[in-house]
Amino acid sequence: MRNMWLITKREYLERVRTRSFLVLTLLLPAIMTVAMLLPAKFATIGERAQHVVVVTSSPQFGETIRQRLLFTSTVTDDEDEAGPEASATRPKPDKQYIIDVDSNPTDAERAILREKVMSRAIDSYIWLTDDAIATGKVTWAGRDVAGFGARSRLSEKLNRILLYTRLSKNGFPADQADLMLKPIKIEAVGIEGGREAKDKTEAKFLQVLVMVMLLYMTVLLYGISVMRSVLQEKSSRILEVLLSSATSTELMAGKLLGVGAVGLTQILVWTVMAGAVALPSLAMQAALSEFQIPPVVLAAFAVFFLMGYLLYSTIYAAIGAISTTEQEGQQLQLFVVIPLVLSVFMLLPVVKTPDASAVVWISMIPFFAPLLMYARIVVQTPPVWQIALSLFLLIATIAGILILCARIYRIGILVYGKRPTLPEILKWIKYAKA
Amino acid sequence: MASTGSSFALPLNPVPNSSAVCTIELNGVCKSYGDFVAVDDLSLSIKPGTIYGLLGPNGAGKTSALRMMIGIIVPDSGSISLFGEPFGHAHMDRVGYLPEERGLYRKMKVLDHLAFLAQLKGLTAPEALTRAQRWCERFELSAWTGKKVEELSKGMQQKVQFIGAILHGPDLIIMDEPFSGLDPASTVALKDVLLELAKSGKTVLLSTHRMDQAERLCTSICLINHGRLVAEGDLNQIKAKHGCCNIQIKYDGDAHFLEETTLVQSFNDYGNYVEVRLAPGADAQEVLRLASAGARISKFELMEPSLEEIFIDAVSKPNA
Repeated sequence: MRNMWLITKREYLERVRTRSFLVLTLLLPAIMTVAMLLPAKFATIGERAQHVVVVTSSPQFGETIRQRLLFTSTVTDDEDEAGPEASATRPKPDKQYIIDVDSNPTDAERAILREKVMSRAIDSYIWLTDDAIATGKVTWAGRDVAGFGARSRLSEKLNRILLYTRLSKNGFPADQADLMLKPIKIEAVGIEGGREAKDKTEAKFLQVLVMVMLLYMTVLLYGISVMRSVLQEKSSRILEVLLSSATSTELMAGKLLGVGAVGLTQILVWTVMAGAVALPSLAMQAALSEFQIPPVVLAAFAVFFLMGYLLYSTIYAAIGAISTTEQEGQQLQLFVVIPLVLSVFMLLPVVKTPDASAVVWISMIPFFAPLLMYARIVVQTPPVWQIALSLFLLIATIAGILILCARIYRIGILVYGKRPTLPEILKWIKYAKA
Repeated sequence: MASTGSSFALPLNPVPNSSAVCTIELNGVCKSYGDFVAVDDLSLSIKPGTIYGLLGPNGAGKTSALRMMIGIIVPDSGSISLFGEPFGHAHMDRVGYLPEERGLYRKMKVLDHLAFLAQLKGLTAPEALTRAQRWCERFELSAWTGKKVEELSKGMQQKVQFIGAILHGPDLIIMDEPFSGLDPASTVALKDVLLELAKSGKTVLLSTHRMDQAERLCTSICLINHGRLVAEGDLNQIKAKHGCCNIQIKYDGDAHFLEETTLVQSFNDYGNYVEVRLAPGADAQEVLRLASAGARISKFELMEPSLEEIFIDAVSKPNA
């Protein structure tokens, strides 16, 4: 045990003290921030206000439409969430539109407007003459009217406005007309534990996604580093000295924990950095409260992440033990990537039907459990025995691979040169039985 | 657990005691890799306070034998006992090992590295550091203790590795080809340390294919070839058993005496002198008489057989 900790400590310090660790730890968040901010920046650059000309038969009506277009909200708009009072007390003009009124509904004017659209002086015009309203055929003409979101939003607005004007023309009081036309939003509600709860599909999906990303990233980053360090130790020939002091299992376990701790340190630093940046922003807090993650899920995340990380790192260590060069090791990486990719493929069926019997058993398989059992816990907490069994199987597999791999490791040092064949590896495991 | 009381300063009073238990004992040890037999029925015993040489040509099975003694590989059959007890990993703290394939963590600082190795053997961190410092002084590495291993020359790295093997004051020191790659001064320094260690009652086991080196340093030896034992025991006894049958003669004049086949089995002319191998049962005095009859003798020396000769002799016997 003491030896294992000494080895863990050495591995940890050797890595953490390097300049590359410092650079990666500090640089990656910077790159990530830029990568995340840039697309948002680009999106807002492209999203300028649309210059729309509303053509009506009378200027008064035109002005009414203008006001209505600017201040009527749609179902999909967020302002609705704040309630009717809020939007009534502090009406915010719709920033997506700049609206001009034109009360000269002639063909000549229409031709001029077309010219203006072509010369990019305006983006589009709406032909909203009394005739058009009467026939129920309003034209929205512009360069770029194909955008589905923009069109449905505008037509929803216009529909409401026109209904309103019709109602008020027929003597309906304005406030009543408004009330009648208030859009109804349908809220999806899931039933959890006998109670209705706001549907959190998005939040849950995000929770699973974070796991996928984090596991992928750490496994690929640090798993390889475990493999590399095993290979280095073989080529530096220090192994024989160490084996005269510690058992190969101690060496292997120490190495895994040491390199593993480096990865966790890095993640911890990043989490703290991300927290420091994100928490003060109110928007983020609102998002967090919406995503309220239950403590069970948080615990499951920690446990299954660590297990997955350990499991895959152990496989990497085994790969390092049987390879002689890094290229060879990289070819064998398939053994890590395939189970990871497979579990991502199976994620969708698991999330859809978390208690189907096939899903239950697949999520027990140690190589898939870190992702799939966790996903099941997020979606719908499975029975405790299932979680316990999957954890037991995971730990047993990790220990098993570790011991096998320690044996391969011990014998592997005596053989340099070509990669051993499978029968040879099996023979090694037998030789190293003590 | 570090051997208690083993401090850096080695006491010079000889401790060896013939009745003491053997430091290490091998009994009928066999090891094969697939069809290849590396070690075949090897038995030997080493007493405390001896410098013991495990000798044999390349590929004789020396390294395999050593690796079994420190538990890196497990014998197929036979038994190994350390310090009078059956082999166990717990004994490893009392053993220091210098493998033939040298290796250190290249990115580690010399002093840190030594401390790490000693801590693995059970020393506390401060104790390991002070001892490492002192040994580095002795091997003139003081200026390098803060440097990374990769900045050191190969010879210096080897000295570091040697220190790593003895830092924790082991009772049994196992070294595979310890002198290869060292300059003469370092060789002497290392040899002196090994002698001191043996004098203070430690057991030193050297494996080498350089018979001349073993001959100068070892009190007991074990000769192996193709994994099999050729000769084992006290060096002087082995030499006595093989008798004194070589004469070095420096002469001027008639060389006819060399052709007297009843006396001379073979001879080897080195230019300055000839080395004569006596025929079985021949008397060296007869050769001297015969030679002095026809030539001026400026040197006539009876020679002990060298280990190399004993080895070649033993190996060439049909039943060896």
